[in-house]
Amino acid sequence: MLKASDLMVFYENMLALNNVTIDIKSNSITGIFGSNSAGKSTLMHMISGIILDMQKKEEMKGGERISSYGTIDFEHQEISKLKPHERARMGIILCPERRRIFAESSVMENLKIGAFLSTSAETKENLDYVLHIFPHLTKHLHRQGGFLSGGEQQMLAIGRAIMAKPKLLLLDEPLLGLSPLYQKIVVTAIKEIRNSKKIAIIITEQYARPIIPIIEYGYIIENGSSVLEGTGNELLDNPDVKSAYFGV
Amino acid sequence: MDILVYGTINSIILALMSLGFTLVYSISRLPNFAHGALYIATGYTVWMLLNSLELSYPLAILIGILGTAASGALIYRFALIRVRGMEISEVIASYAIGLAIIEGLRWGGLRGSTFTLPSFMSGSITFFDVSIDYQRLIIMVTGFAVFVMLYLFTRFTKTGLAFRGIAQDERASMMLGIDSDFTAILSLAIGSGLAGLSAVILLPLGNIVVETGYNVLIFSIAVSIIGGLGSWSGVVVASFIIGFAQILTEVFLSSHYQMVVALLAIIVTLLIKPSGIMGKQKELEERV
Repeated sequence: MLKASDLMVFYENMLALNNVTIDIKSNSITGIFGSNSAGKSTLMHMISGIILDMQKKEEMKGGERISSYGTIDFEHQEISKLKPHERARMGIILCPERRRIFAESSVMENLKIGAFLSTSAETKENLDYVLHIFPHLTKHLHRQGGFLSGGEQQMLAIGRAIMAKPKLLLLDEPLLGLSPLYQKIVVTAIKEIRNSKKIAIIITEQYARPIIPIIEYGYIIENGSSVLEGTGNELLDNPDVKSAYFGV
Repeated sequence: MDILVYGTINSIILALMSLGFTLVYSISRLPNFAHGALYIATGYTVWMLLNSLELSYPLAILIGILGTAASGALIYRFALIRVRGMEISEVIASYAIGLAIIEGLRWGGLRGSTFTLPSFMSGSITFFDVSIDYQRLIIMVTGFAVFVMLYLFTRFTKTGLAFRGIAQDERASMMLGIDSDFTAILSLAIGSGLAGLSAVILLPLGNIVVETGYNVLIFSIAVSIIGGLGSWSGVVVASFIIGFAQILTEVFLSSHYQMVVALLAIIVTLLIKPSGIMGKQKELEERV
């Protein structure tokens, strides 16, 4: 459903992504693993189009020069020049790193803002669905987003992204800073979302162990290059991967 | 008692004047320095429609406000969009447009005190021994109505919710499919429309003179800085502070000091609490 080929991104002269090619099948969960600054978030920004916004803002400020190359094909359409909101309209929704909850809005309002692209019938259906997979949120519906705990904020961020009715959901480090208990809830929920909504999901994460059981396919990125790819079990069996990403 | 009544009225006038400016800034982070010019241009347009084209008053008002809203949108679409993100250039560009409008009007013949808009209803009522004319009463009612409508708009409509999203985190909103340029155009249209609306209901209190354009801009900036840039509740609080301070100076000193009060308030705010009265949350965020 999505094929991104030969992606290259430079921040000034620093190479952040180097000839990365990924292929995402519909109704699948794909994991992208790599350490800090390996290029995971840059890859997410490339797919969601946020890189174009960053480019423009930096150019206006006279800041860093960001250049990006490569083609992204989504449902047989070349989208690498489309703006982020146009891609969101096509169904590519990014749930960003560090969640970026609307802190001054209540949980309910966060979800409603997320439903910008949905009709009111879809909004209602998705709202019930989000509260069904994250029952935790139900009792905090009228609390300000900024006052939630990290785990609750992550649930809200994923819920907000679902309200935008994604076809391809990008989750950038959804487990960052969560307790093992919340990690488990989030991972279970991600699997449940894929099963019931039949959408494609990409998850990036530094630490692969909690994610690997639910992925169909995975990529490992180091210093901006994709160094290894394979199904979950193939990655698990690779001794280098084992020591680097599973802490064995 | 008249201090209380006229203080309240003056505060609502200030709030109405500056609401458009704050709305644009809070949503799009654009300081619209053409705000005062749009205000006075609306007054003049309505006067022209009334006296040259002899349209009916309500129709002239409607066209005036819609025209101003459209020019706000055009200003963004053709000028500000090119400099968006360069803060100094945003200020310079919008101020230049404002200056061109105001001085253009002066050059075009808006001079002297012959330009007045009729008040909606003549007469007055007495309220606790203070007589208030109907125009000021209409201003109070409109002020409340505008605030209530904006509150409902931003909480219960899709566009309003998109505004709230963009105002809090532009990039996160983009990821959800909200177009930042589109909301900016819309916010400028609504902000300018509010400038037009306030012009139409406030100008019948006096003459239409070009200098009002500068005064409105200064008052709007004063109110938004004191209330905390981009904070709506701050607008109300700051309007009441400046509004009452002005009435008090008028009573105990002289009406010449009105502008001094507003400017002094800016200086004091910047010295004591640079983020403004209601700017607390943003200040905290920056520290973290």
